[in-house]
Amino acid sequence: MSERTLSGIGVTPLSGVGTVVWYDQDVEIGEPPAAESVDAAAEHGRFENAVEQAQEELQAERDRTAEKVGESEAEIFDAHLQFLNDPQITGAVEDSIDEGLPAEHATREGFQQGIEQLEAAGGRMAERADDLRDIRDRLVRILADAERIDLSALPEGTVLLAEMLTPSDTAQLDPEAVAGFATAEGGRTSHAAIFARSIGIPAVVSAGDDLLDIEADSEVVVDGEAGEVIVDPSEATRERASERRGVEVRADRVETADGKEIEVAANVGTLAELEGAVAQGADAIGLFRTEFLFLDREAPPDEDEQVETYVEALDAFPEGRVVVRTLDVGGDKPIPYIEADEEDNPFLGMRGIRRSLGPDADLFEIQIRALLRAGAKGEGTLAVMFPLVTTVGEVEATLDVVEEVAADLESEGVDYAMPELGVMIETPAAVFVADALAERLDFFSIGTNDLAQYVMAASRQNEHVADLHDPSDPAVLRAIHRAVEAAHGGDIWIGMCGEMAGDPELTELLIGLGLDELSMSAVTIPDVKANVVEIRTDDAGELAETALESATKGEVRAALSDDT
Amino acid sequence: MFERTITIVPEAGLHARPASKFVETANQFDADIQIATEGDDPVNARSMLSVSGLGVEHGEEVRLIADGEDAEAALDALETVLTTPEDEYDE
Repeated sequence: MSERTLSGIGVTPLSGVGTVVWYDQDVEIGEPPAAESVDAAAEHGRFENAVEQAQEELQAERDRTAEKVGESEAEIFDAHLQFLNDPQITGAVEDSIDEGLPAEHATREGFQQGIEQLEAAGGRMAERADDLRDIRDRLVRILADAERIDLSALPEGTVLLAEMLTPSDTAQLDPEAVAGFATAEGGRTSHAAIFARSIGIPAVVSAGDDLLDIEADSEVVVDGEAGEVIVDPSEATRERASERRGVEVRADRVETADGKEIEVAANVGTLAELEGAVAQGADAIGLFRTEFLFLDREAPPDEDEQVETYVEALDAFPEGRVVVRTLDVGGDKPIPYIEADEEDNPFLGMRGIRRSLGPDADLFEIQIRALLRAGAKGEGTLAVMFPLVTTVGEVEATLDVVEEVAADLESEGVDYAMPELGVMIETPAAVFVADALAERLDFFSIGTNDLAQYVMAASRQNEHVADLHDPSDPAVLRAIHRAVEAAHGGDIWIGMCGEMAGDPELTELLIGLGLDELSMSAVTIPDVKANVVEIRTDDAGELAETALESATKGEVRAALSDDT
Repeated sequence: MFERTITIVPEAGLHARPASKFVETANQFDADIQIATEGDDPVNARSMLSVSGLGVEHGEEVRLIADGEDAEAALDALETVLTTPEDEYDE
């Protein structure tokens, strides 16, 4: 049999080979039988039992997710449980049974109206329609007595294939057992993709409908670098894949060949990713996104829940630093219970610290309280970072909030510790006033995705200008240079937590530009650390100088390739 | 049968957490409870789907209709939910 290749989007520069296990294929229930042959009383009983079993399953998954991932992720299941017992829906299903449908067909029918109702409402309500679909599929599966795979107990060497994977699915995967996964849908930034990167599993997303034709138990290679799924691989392909990559994980801190220490840190967006960060040899957490605490739930997390989460992160890096970014919403990240007006141009509107000092001031104060308390409790060193700063006034107002919260805690007699305080450098305005910001703060971290977007006036999401949105454009490099000069002039450290920091081809340039810390997806840490130890700072400085003198991106590229 | 007209206090209106709290509370009573907005047919107060489907915003009025032994107690409890600002909920 010859091998067959499917193309998708690779999300981790790893490949793996294994045996296909299918997850959550649609359950075939066929056409309903004639109404006269259906025993309505028996079907009512079957439906009732199915609801009961679904409730038990959901409760068990809720508990497991709360334990392994976090309380906030677990709350997705609370919404499911509430819908499961919704009389409007169960009533509709029961009506359909009375009209002569077996329980599984009646479930499809009965849920449809609710799904359509939510979709018609649009916005936040429409997102809930997926919850209803999830519950419906669960009930149908139980009624059809179809097997469901336990994702936390897959046999070693499994390649998991699915149409798509939800956050609760991926959270259950055991990175030791899973050789890789591929999904028909999803993008590079889907939850499944981000999770795969953080724990270092080979993964391909968006492989298309052809993926659905791959049979269970086939041998496949998942090549997360090329973005390919190869069915029935040849011996040669299989060997190439099983080598994975030979870069050794360095748990210790690294320095350049001439002795300059460079902190190599991880960006994480959930508690589950902390483990992956440690496993890949991260020295610290350079960006701890806190949005996950606030997403997928009906109400904001309270102070104690947040303290617990931050302490868990700090305890994962007892010797290192954890840079927590305060809630960064707006633009592309809407949250159900936060009222945000539709904006013509959300990326130039109410985002980041602007919301925290404005409409979300209450949420912000709770988060700062939780952070100050966590700083006194957790083992590692806490640093708190504020997103999308443009003016000195914003920084002063933010520091006032922190001072007030500290004073409150003091007078309440609650234990707290003052963390290091810093800002993201993501706007040209912040670059231009960086010297003044440095006088007021302890550190900077450059967010290259947004910085490139705002410097180049090119959206990250618009493919027509994707070429302009490039952090190695001389304009962006000069902005980075200026921020570094300002930081070091003010005697504070400066890191980088954008995607650029994790590009192993740019490590030397970034060290040459003077960055003290690089923070990235955990999976690229071994490569970047391997580069750091080979680099000499004087060579790196020369490379940076040439790049900064370049007039075009082409010249920067030429300098980079001359160097290797 | 008891009826009461109440103005919604929580900022989020009858969505998200307030809606969830409302449905949870309705489920604690035996009485038949319905909720209606002006000019619309009443819907089952125990259904999250129906209640959030009303799309009631902060400051709008709703009519609660309860029938049964504990109808009055149910209306008292639900009125408390609808007139308590969200940040004052007990956990």
